[in-house]
Amino acid sequence: MSLAHRRPLWQFCPAHCIQLFLHFVGVLVLLDLHTHSIKSDDGRAKVENYCQWIRSKNLPIDGFVLTEHRQFDDESDYSALAEKFDLCILKASEVETEYGHVLVYGVTPGLQAEFDFGSISLSLARVIEASNAHGAIAVPCHPGRPRVGMFAHTDELGVPEGVEIVEIYNGGSRDQEDQIAIDNASQLGYRGIGGSDSHIVSHVGRCATRFDVEIKSIDDLVSALKAGQFEAVNLKSGN
Amino acid sequence: MDQDITAAREKFLNRDFDEKTFAIPAEKTIEYARLCGETAPRFLDASHPEFQAPPTYIASLSGSRSLPEGFPRFGLGMDAGKGVECFLPVRPGTTITGRTHLHDIYSKTGRSGRMVFAVSRMAFFDADGQHLANADSRLVMREKS
Repeated sequence: MSLAHRRPLWQFCPAHCIQLFLHFVGVLVLLDLHTHSIKSDDGRAKVENYCQWIRSKNLPIDGFVLTEHRQFDDESDYSALAEKFDLCILKASEVETEYGHVLVYGVTPGLQAEFDFGSISLSLARVIEASNAHGAIAVPCHPGRPRVGMFAHTDELGVPEGVEIVEIYNGGSRDQEDQIAIDNASQLGYRGIGGSDSHIVSHVGRCATRFDVEIKSIDDLVSALKAGQFEAVNLKSGN
Repeated sequence: MDQDITAAREKFLNRDFDEKTFAIPAEKTIEYARLCGETAPRFLDASHPEFQAPPTYIASLSGSRSLPEGFPRFGLGMDAGKGVECFLPVRPGTTITGRTHLHDIYSKTGRSGRMVFAVSRMAFFDADGQHLANADSRLVMREKS
């Protein structure tokens, strides 16, 4: 996947130029792994508008993953938009557990039959177990956040088994929420991803995850996550 | 889904709990259109052949009740947004009927804990019983922690 997209170099800020250079010297893909569209009850962004925003603002991301709240969006097909804007658009879910919110990549019909995605009181252990059994991967998101973040519950509930990756950069984080996530992830040996958690178009791409392998499908994404071939990136202004 | 939410859905969803008639005065819809910054003559000119109320006008109409009798108070309620769905034009100078039911009840968790959402839908009909539009009003109730 190319980052150039026929844009003149002077349109890129230095950080974007570095990203562009890295794309030329090796396979690097930058994806926003946590976004919401109007399919989520609190999402105000249409997927096409995300694409237009990314291109009109020359954002350095190559695509994004739609992680709709408490559901998997079976019906939407974004392949035409992906082709039109030369972006990778993938679909996943954000579910709710006793340890807070959890992104699930690689959702299949079999996995959907394993638990009620609409529940707000799922068992994290069950989500991880079922995800692993169906070739998916579960990633607790904004873990440094009160109530809906995993590390807000580990003192009371203990450190959950089976977590390998957490979201360490979240575009909606306040105060020290990302730092809490980074510190705890480091202490527990978790790898970190980044995602904007955007609900409106102008927030897409605030955080992302860089991969050193090509990502063209959700299977590619799950494989890369399981292989640990990624790095969280904070693209919020000032970083 | 939480048991209390499931129970509330079973008891309250899709049952009309309010009915009210509304006159649609042309001067009011024109004023509404002007305030919204509308420039299309069909919303501003009463002599226009397609003269009609702006689509969002119906969101300004409220029924006698916002929730059915006996609906559980999950917590402090706040407006969580409105939406309209239009099928046929609402014609000024007519009287329409709004019938309200709960269209959805669901919960989610956030920084402040559990929140329960109730989507109240007022369906509007003209004198011939034609379904003109729906206006959804979303109420969020934040539970006390």
